[in-house]
Order: sequence, then C-alpha cells, then structure tokens
Amino acid sequence: MRLRPDLARALLPERERVRIESYGLDDAGHGTDVFGTSTEGIGSAYAVAYWLHRYYFRVVSAGHENVPRDTAAVVVGNHSGLLPWDALMITTDVFRHTDPPRLVRFMVDFFVYRMPFLGVLFRSLGQVSGTRRNFDGLIDEGHLVGIFPEGAEALGKPVDKRYELHAFSHGHVELAARHGVPVVPFGVVGAEEQHTVITNLEPLARALDLPFIPITRTFPWFGPLGLLPKPVRYYIHYGEPLHIDPAALQSLAVREHEVARVRDAVYEQIHLGLEVRRRAEGDPVR
Amino acid sequence: MNEKQGEHDEQGEHEPVERPRSSGAVERPETGTLRPGKRRILIAGAHRRIAVELISQLLEFDSVELILGVGEGACPAALINHDSRRFMYRSASLDRRRQVDDLFLFDQFRERPLDSVVHLAFAGNPKGYDVKRHEYNVNAARHLLDASLRHGVGKYVFLSSDSVYQIGPRGDYKVAEDAELDLDPSSPTTVRDIIDAEFLCRAKMDHPHCEVIVLRPAGVIGGGVLSGLNLLFESHPPVLPIGFDPMINPTSKERLARDLVLALMLHGKGLFNVAGPTTGPLSRFLEERGIVPLRVPGPTLRAANKVQRMLGQTRYHAEYQPRRLFYSLVLDDSRFAKSFRANAGLLDPP
Repeated sequence: MRLRPDLARALLPERERVRIESYGLDDAGHGTDVFGTSTEGIGSAYAVAYWLHRYYFRVVSAGHENVPRDTAAVVVGNHSGLLPWDALMITTDVFRHTDPPRLVRFMVDFFVYRMPFLGVLFRSLGQVSGTRRNFDGLIDEGHLVGIFPEGAEALGKPVDKRYELHAFSHGHVELAARHGVPVVPFGVVGAEEQHTVITNLEPLARALDLPFIPITRTFPWFGPLGLLPKPVRYYIHYGEPLHIDPAALQSLAVREHEVARVRDAVYEQIHLGLEVRRRAEGDPVR
Repeated sequence: MNEKQGEHDEQGEHEPVERPRSSGAVERPETGTLRPGKRRILIAGAHRRIAVELISQLLEFDSVELILGVGEGACPAALINHDSRRFMYRSASLDRRRQVDDLFLFDQFRERPLDSVVHLAFAGNPKGYDVKRHEYNVNAARHLLDASLRHGVGKYVFLSSDSVYQIGPRGDYKVAEDAELDLDPSSPTTVRDIIDAEFLCRAKMDHPHCEVIVLRPAGVIGGGVLSGLNLLFESHPPVLPIGFDPMINPTSKERLARDLVLALMLHGKGLFNVAGPTTGPLSRFLEERGIVPLRVPGPTLRAANKVQRMLGQTRYHAEYQPRRLFYSLVLDDSRFAKSFRANAGLLDPP
C-alpha cells in the first residue's frame, strides 16, 4: 500500500504503518478497489484518524472479539454528534483492534456524494452510498458493512434527546437475513456531547435537501469552526453478534421483532458505555 | 468445414434450430454454445470505427463467409482493401423501409441468406439533432429488426450505450442491466432514441427463431472513436469539475469488437452490459495517459465546455450527459462474461 510518507511518518508509529501496509485491498486495476476505495485514501485518513482516536477523542472500547475476523457482517449502532465522527471512530477502532485489520464500510446518505471533495473523500475511505446493490456487493465480498438505522437525521439530535434512539429502519435486518450474515450491535457514548444542538432549521434543511441544519452553541456563530467537536472521550462497546431469523424475509411481524431485538442490543451497549463512563468520570457536565 | 457441410448447417440455423416440441415448448440452444455453420453477416453503420474493427476481426474467422457492410455514402477507406469475395459494401438509407428490405434481396443472398445482423448505425452526435435524426435512429432500428425477422435472420445484435443509465449520487458501485434508466424529460434526445430503439429490440426478444441481443458498452477510450469519453480524453485539455472524480470501467475498440464477435458467434439473447477489464477513477485513467485535466467549479463546467468547443479545443459535449463527469458509472458485465467471454474458446482460432 502506498502512503503519503510525510503524513504517515508524522502521525503514525511504525507498527501502525505496518498494519496499514498489511491491509489487503482488492485492486481493480488503478489503485482502487471496485468501490473506489484507494490505498492512499485509507492510509492518509488512518494517519489522521489514529491521532484523533488516541489523543483527541481518547477512545475507550471493548468487545472487539465480537467483530468477525474474516467474514461479512453488518455493524449497527447509534448515530449522533452533528458530523459523523462516530463513524470515523468506529472504523478506526475496528481497524486498530482487529488482526488482520478490517475496514468497516458505512452506508452513507446520498447527499454526501453531491458535494465536491466530500463524496470523493468518503469513497476513497471505503464508505459507499447506501443502495441495496452496494450493500449486496460489499457483503458478497466479505466486508464489514456499517449501518446507522436511525439515519442521518439522528446526527442532529437536540440536547433533550441524548441517548434516545430514533426509530430504526428495517433495511439492515432484511439485508442481513437475505445474506445470512450476523448483525454486530455497538453503542457509542460521548459523541452525543460533542455538540450542544439547540434546534434544527427543518424548513431550510428541506429546501436545501439536507438531513438537518442545526443551531448549536457554536454554529453558525463561529462559522465552520463552530462545527469542530468538543474533545469528549468516546466509549465504544460491541455486543455479541445477533443471528437474524430468516423468517424476517417472509413476515413483517418477524422483521419488526428482529429490528426491535437489534435496537435493544444497541441500547444495551449504550447503557454499558454510560455505566463505564459514570464509573470512570462521574456524571458528565452538560 | 467444406462448403456443402456449411450449407447444411446454415439451413439448420435458419429452419430447424428451435423446433417446437410435441408439447408445444420451443427448444432453445444453450446460451454460450457455438452457433453452427458459416456466417453471413450484415453490419449496419459500417462507417463507425467500431464497425471497421469488427469487420477486421470477423474476417479473420474462416467461419465468416460473407459480410455486407452498410452505410451512407461511399465505402470508408479503411474497408476498401478487404477481400471482395468475403466483404461487400452497399450504401443505403436505413430509415427507409424499402432500402432496408432490399439489402436482404441481393443475389449473393438468394441461395444462402444473411443469418446475422449487427446494428451499429446510430447518430449519437447531439449537435444538430432534429426530427430527421430521431427518425433515422428509431426507424432504422425498427426497419432493420423487422426485415431481419422476416428474412429468417438467426441473430440480431444492437449496440446500445451506457448513456441509457440514470447517473447520480444514488448510483450503485456497479450498474447491472436492470438499473434505472435515464427517462428524465430533460435528458438528451439521443439518449431517448437509444432507449426507444432498445425497447423495439426488447419487444422481439422472445422471437422463437431470432436471438435478439442488446449490448450496452461502457465508454470506449482510444482508437479515434467518437465516444463521449474518448472525445473528453482527446480534448486540449479535458475540463473536469473540481472535487469530483467518477469511477469508470471503460473498454477499448478492440475489446468491444471482440465482445460483438462473441455475441454474434455464440448462442444467447437478451440485454448485456459490456465493459473494460479494469475499474478506477477517471483521474487515474487520464494520469496513466499523461493527460493533465483543467479543473473548474462544477456549475461552470458546461460554460467552460462551450467555450472550449468554440475555440476548437474539444469535441466533447458536456450537455450530452452533464452528470457523467460528476458521478460514477461502472458497468457490471459479469453476465456477459459468464455467458460469452467464458466460452470464447469455442470460436475457431483466427
């Protein structure tokens, strides 16, 4: 794998550089895989994300043994924090704690790919737009697919809704059942506090075809700088893989039951994270 | 194979290939198996560079007995040196039903009629599009297909385009044949013509004696072809939007011609994508050819392209598929690879 040597040397210790170089990318002929994930993209992003993971968000995580080492799975959890730092930290955390390193490829909302640079960046990091066929392709090739069933709207959760889960979409359960792959639930604690969302300008967001436009304590008052997250410590926990009942493909009732089961499992991991944080830090100051 | 044997097989190709069983079911040859006998092929759109390459590749096979190239105007220079016993050229207006029908009635085909038709004649240049061009595009496909069915042709191949697919941020990493089509009212009229022509072909795909096959190729790079992608690559310089780098899997003139040969020589019908062997970002393909693009903000791309065309720096039309330079379009041609390329060994060695 080719790395930007300056960035990698500056931000990564030797053993992490070796880990990146050992990551097997299935080159489709021009330095990327068929999904557009580039070798340099992952390397450079990991150099930055590793630093954020270790020194900025100071991630505490557990349950990595529940992440399959070499088979496909759907990784499902809660979403929050205005910008998807939680997805970046999950991806980095799994990459750091699996051997050989595995990349979680999140299904991303379409609006990202309409934006200059952002879409190319996400794609080069292995994050693909959330279509059914993209999911099928990733699972067929044995990847870990990350899904936030609450959708992008959950990023803009206001203060009074912290650690409350939005309704889960059913897609992840249906797709996991169809492919016969397990669902690995995870809970992220910390991301909900990195911004204090006061309200969401829904009409403007609808007009601009965006999932939300938040008003926070810092945004838009400080411009783009107001979107920088507070350095809140993250607590990430992975639960045991859930095997989805294949009957979810035939019965709406079964599917709803399986979605509820996944939702409960995510809740469980969130509560576990909150408990670990309470023991370590006491109750957080809001 | 001697000529007599070839004649016998040829008869078999036209009449009893798909005999009704006693139960009434039609016995269809297995996809990917070799069509028996010698080939007599009509290639419409002989002026296209892909046609020139296809004819050249076909003539390397002993099993190709005669090729009739059809175009408008004089025979292209690249075709005049072919063996006149195996290649003939005729000028015809394909939008005229009578002229199309006459192509099947030449003396050369009285005893042993044409058994395959390749329709490459499509006016894809968006410049100067009018109702006549529409008539040419759609009526040529209709007349050629009707005449093929009436005259007992066993294989009809229509070369479509990947421009029929909807492109956007919701795109799949690989676009299969059942993906959403670009039926937007604001899409270019040429694209709608291609879709119209495809629908005509698809309406006849269950014909019991003719295998109708539609190929949707990825953009072709190189060989001087007039594909959108190649025109972009030949621009001085190519103008691309800032912050976008679509994934593509372009093919080449030679590979596409080879795919057409396989579609002609092997049994099989239906709709297939055909693409190049590798996938990557557009910028990498440019980089590998030493081409340095000029990046402009997305909203100004069309204006920049217009200025470039006025200055003679490009023949690429950004209006034709405005989203093409923003969003990925990678064709999934695994069905074609499985049905046809995997059986390429069945063709007699050139």
